[in-house]
Amino acid sequence: MQLNARYPQLFTWPALVLYTAFFILPSLGGIVYAFTDWSSYSDEVNFVGLKNFRKLFSVDENYFAYFWNTFIFTGVTIVLKTVFGLALALLLDKGVKSFVNFYRALIYVPVVLPMLVVGLIFRSILHPSHGLLNVTLRAVGLDVLTQHWLTDPHLALFSVMVIDTWKGVGYIMVILLAGLQTIPKEYYEAAEVDGAGALARFRFITLPMLMPAIMVVTVLNVLYGLRVFDIVYATTNGGPGYASEVAQTGIFKAFSEGQYGLGTALSSVLFVILLFVGYGVIRLLERPPARV
Amino acid sequence: MKKLMLLNAVSAIALTATMFGVSPGFAADKVTLTYLADSNWVKAPEKELAKKFEEQTGIAIDFQIVPSDQYTNVLKTKLNSGEATDIFGGQSGVTDLTLNYNVEKNAVDLSGEAWAKQEDPLVAAQSTVNGKLYGLTYWDTLGYVWVVNYNKATFKKFGLEPPKTYAEFKALCQKLKDGGVQPLYEPISDGWHHVLWFPELGPRYEQASPGLADKLNTNKEKFADDKTMLTDLTELKEMFDLGFFGENALSDTFADRTKAMSDGKIAMFMAQSAFPQDLHKDYPNISADDFGAFVMPLADNQLLNINPAGPTHFIYSGSKHVAEAKQYLDFLTKPENLQTYLDGEPQFFTLPFPGVKAKFSPDLQAFMDAHKDARGVVYQTQINYVNSQWMDIGKDITAMFTGAQTPEDVLKNLDKRRADFADAAKDPAWNK
Repeated sequence: MQLNARYPQLFTWPALVLYTAFFILPSLGGIVYAFTDWSSYSDEVNFVGLKNFRKLFSVDENYFAYFWNTFIFTGVTIVLKTVFGLALALLLDKGVKSFVNFYRALIYVPVVLPMLVVGLIFRSILHPSHGLLNVTLRAVGLDVLTQHWLTDPHLALFSVMVIDTWKGVGYIMVILLAGLQTIPKEYYEAAEVDGAGALARFRFITLPMLMPAIMVVTVLNVLYGLRVFDIVYATTNGGPGYASEVAQTGIFKAFSEGQYGLGTALSSVLFVILLFVGYGVIRLLERPPARV
Repeated sequence: MKKLMLLNAVSAIALTATMFGVSPGFAADKVTLTYLADSNWVKAPEKELAKKFEEQTGIAIDFQIVPSDQYTNVLKTKLNSGEATDIFGGQSGVTDLTLNYNVEKNAVDLSGEAWAKQEDPLVAAQSTVNGKLYGLTYWDTLGYVWVVNYNKATFKKFGLEPPKTYAEFKALCQKLKDGGVQPLYEPISDGWHHVLWFPELGPRYEQASPGLADKLNTNKEKFADDKTMLTDLTELKEMFDLGFFGENALSDTFADRTKAMSDGKIAMFMAQSAFPQDLHKDYPNISADDFGAFVMPLADNQLLNINPAGPTHFIYSGSKHVAEAKQYLDFLTKPENLQTYLDGEPQFFTLPFPGVKAKFSPDLQAFMDAHKDARGVVYQTQINYVNSQWMDIGKDITAMFTGAQTPEDVLKNLDKRRADFADAAKDPAWNK
């Protein structure tokens, strides 16, 4: 019996050693570097205490705005992707009768497109003078709605969020669709017999039964949103000015300037935020449903 | 047994001597100089000259070409590990020379070479540290200047002349705008082009405040304290606000420059002096002579902005073939070889040595001649820690255009980042 009990623990050791060597130690090493003046300009690396963190949290710097933009991006894209993903999943689960697989594939296509390609396409579509969107708006007499989508400081981040939703909604839809298909049809039939309308069925059967899938997509979206980089880099590069900078573009900038200590401090802060927010979201969504 | 050991020892000594280029009496005298360079820096005519050099001297050149994006890392690794090539390429300029290459330790002093006295003083100064010249800049650093290229026909139609002051420039732009012509094409979207309006005016800042560059480099003066710089940025902002860059400047790209300038709807574009040739290449119906040039007139500037830094040959201090490497640089700078190099490279107009026959168009030659004694060095080359924050300055200026920052903020941010860089580099001028 004792031998049996030891086997599972023993078996975890190789994986644990590899994980520690290649994930835990480098991550901790990164955090240690956040307390140094490591840079490409000097061979020396000195311990500087909290200097990098003081700079990050200084009011003279823009980093607060970077984190604020990151939170806005995360919050808005979670809502947009989940709402549209759920609507599309419902539509393709029950609403559409023919060419269902074709539509599913079509909605999923943006997910497999490389982010840089998506960035280039949307930079072209959203160009103020010859972009497809503004040209179309002008063609139908809606000149008043034409905007500098990616270069207006008040609109740029919102435009990036919409592009990201367009690209990511297919992925969310697939997860929610899989969740929808696990809900037994008998529940709906019983509810219909009891006289429940479509809204009531959605609220009291679909949503509660879909909660595990919604939890998964929310966690995925939170982690993705807080770490967002490529779509911002490919469309606005944080601009105009600093209007759409996010935490990861700030990290990228610090590293590309050779300020490695500052870059690791910034990524350490993001790591801590990710850890707390991710854990918080899981705990929140894992709460057992209140019984009526 | 003893004989065998003796024979082995003799063989080993002979083999080692051959490997390290020491010539025992029976081996042929053959030296190969290794030369590490960025892939963009070795032009075809230099390879031809290297062959000619080998024919004449028996010294071969082994070009070791590294892709641009990896070059600095590869070079720095080789320099730090003491395994650099006999000759290595590097970008001249005060910051790069000391921070990236540490030439005082890693390169050979070339001040005594014959060509050193011939090289254009502005260019030579960029390879000089503490009075010693460390590199040969074998590049056209004088022919490519950023100027305002203007459409002569449009100027003629509106009765305009190249401006001498900012007030004239502003009035001219307004007249063009009122006449339905976009005054300037300014591709802000790329993040780097609009920055040129600021540090390229280094000669003007220096003229208004002599010795400013030294004071900035020794941290005795701040960008934020200089009134001429503030004037430049304020005027740049005014041009944006008045719509002189067009409605879509924030979305315009440098890649679209020739297309944008091809139909006469835009009158001017601040670009390198070779821009009219580029335009002619893309649109053969437009002649390079259809465009003229004037210096950027912000802050009433009338001086030509020279960026004398460029790809430069350095001889590695740890090389075993310093004499042969010096011989190669001497060969490259012989008048006939300079001319061969210039004639064989279509991208070059001139070289920083007297006596070479430049390839400027008559107009451009006249423009260059007119500014022969009215020129100076741009600030991204002259001032430490400016070039390395180019894209950040771009973001700040864009933020200034959109109203998120003021011209004063742009200068303050620049000072702040300079302090950060200086701190990282443990610059004694900042860490007193």
